[in-house]
Amino acid sequence: MKYVDEFRNADLARAVSAEIYSLVDPNRPYKIMEVCGGHTHTIYRHGIKDLLPDQVELVHGPGCPVCVLPMGRVDEGIAIAERPEVIFTCFGDMMRVPGSKGNLLEVKAEGADIRMVYSPLDALRIARENPDREVVFYAIGFETTAPSTALTLQRAKKEGIENFSVFCNHVTIVPPVRALLDSPDLRLDAFIGPGHVSTVIGCRPYGFMPADYGKPCVVAGFEPLDLMQSVLMLIRQLDEGRCEVENQYGRAVLWEGNLKALEAMAEAFELRPYFEWRGLGFIAQSALKLSAEYADLDAELRYSTPGVRVADPKACQCGEVLKGVLKPPECKVFGTACTPERPLGALMVSSEGACAAYYNFGRKSFEKVEIGSR
Amino acid sequence: MKDDLTLLGNCTLDHDGCVVCSDAGIPVRVISIEGDDALCEDSAGNQTEIAIELVAPVTEGEILLTHGGVAIGKVETKELTAES
Repeated sequence: MKYVDEFRNADLARAVSAEIYSLVDPNRPYKIMEVCGGHTHTIYRHGIKDLLPDQVELVHGPGCPVCVLPMGRVDEGIAIAERPEVIFTCFGDMMRVPGSKGNLLEVKAEGADIRMVYSPLDALRIARENPDREVVFYAIGFETTAPSTALTLQRAKKEGIENFSVFCNHVTIVPPVRALLDSPDLRLDAFIGPGHVSTVIGCRPYGFMPADYGKPCVVAGFEPLDLMQSVLMLIRQLDEGRCEVENQYGRAVLWEGNLKALEAMAEAFELRPYFEWRGLGFIAQSALKLSAEYADLDAELRYSTPGVRVADPKACQCGEVLKGVLKPPECKVFGTACTPERPLGALMVSSEGACAAYYNFGRKSFEKVEIGSR
Repeated sequence: MKDDLTLLGNCTLDHDGCVVCSDAGIPVRVISIEGDDALCEDSAGNQTEIAIELVAPVTEGEILLTHGGVAIGKVETKELTAES
C-alpha cells in the first residue's frame, strides 16, 4: 500500500475484514483499546466497527488531551486570561472546554484578549509584535505537541523575549496507559498505539505492555485501512500466542522516534511528580512542567497559579467513558444535557472526544433490512 | 507530484478537527528553506511556514510530517518501497 486511496480502498478493506473474520476464535472476546482520540474519530467516521466480528470490541482510551484536562486547570487558564495586561493564546478546541464558571469563549466575549493560534510559534510572534503586553500560551497535548512548545521556548530564550510565557499542561502517554492496566475494573487484551505520538517517542516506550502486563501493542496510522490492518496484526499476535510491540505505521514512525524532538523536550521540560487526569485521578510522573532552565518563562510561576481542584459535574460520567467502563451512549446525560453544542463534559467538546465522535458518527444499533422485503 | 503527499493520509493545513486531540500529523512538501523555517505546501495547495529544526537537515522537495507549525518527522521512503 502506498497512497491514501489505497488506505481507503473498499476491496482491500473487505479483504482485511474477511481475514480477520477467518482468524478470530469464536469462543473468546478480543477487547482492544485504541489509546488515541484520532483513532477513535477514524473508527466512528468510517464505520470500522461494522467491518469487525462481534467478538472484537474496540474500547476508546484516554488519548484526547482536552478531554483528560481537569476543570481546575481550565479555571486557572481563565484566571490568567482575565488579567488586563495579558494576551492569552490557545488552540481552538480549548476555547469551549467548560471550566466551573464558563469557558474561554465566554470570557473572550466579556472582553478578555484571547486569541486562537495554530502553533505556539504564532503565540511567540504575537509577543514579538506586542512588546508592551504579556503573551501567555496555553500549552496542551501529548508528546506530538510537546516538541512544538519546547521549540518555541528555545526560540523565545534565544531571542530574549521576556513578555512571553507558557502555561504548561502537556501530558505523557505511557503513565495513564499503565494506570488503566492497573485498574481492576477494566480487562483489555491488546492496544492500538498512537501513530504521531510515536513519531516523536518511537516504539520502545510501549515495551512495558508486553513485558509487564502481557499485552501486545501495534502502533497504527490514521487511515481506515491502517486501523483494520492493526486489528489484524493484534489478532494474529493473540491467536499465535505472541506478545510484542509492532509498528504498522512504518512510513512515519521510526523505532527510536525523533531524537532531536526528544532532546528539545528534555531541555525545556521536566516531569511533574504527579498530575490530575479527568476520570483517572492523580497519576505519578504523567505530565510535564517547564524545567528550571526555563522557569522565567513559566506562567504558573509568573502568575502564581494556586493549583485549584474542581470536581466534575455530578451528572457527568466522562471518567467512566475515559476508562472504557461505559460506552458514550450509556452515560446518563449523553445527547440530552450534554451535546456538542452545549457540552457538559470534556469528551463532548473536542471533535475527537469519544462522546462527540459517537454523537456525530455513531449508531446505537441497526438491524440489517433486506431491500424489497416490505 | 502532489499525490506523494497523501502517503500519510489526506490531512491538510486547514484540518478542521482538533489538532492536538486528533494527534494530527499533516504531510507537507518543502518548497523553499530560510534558516530554521521552510515554506511548505500541503496536498490541497495551502502554503505556510514550518519550523524545521527538529528534522534538520531538510532539502527542497522533501515531505515532512508537521504538527502545530513544527515538523516532527519525515516520510520514510525506504519503508514505502517495502510496503508498496
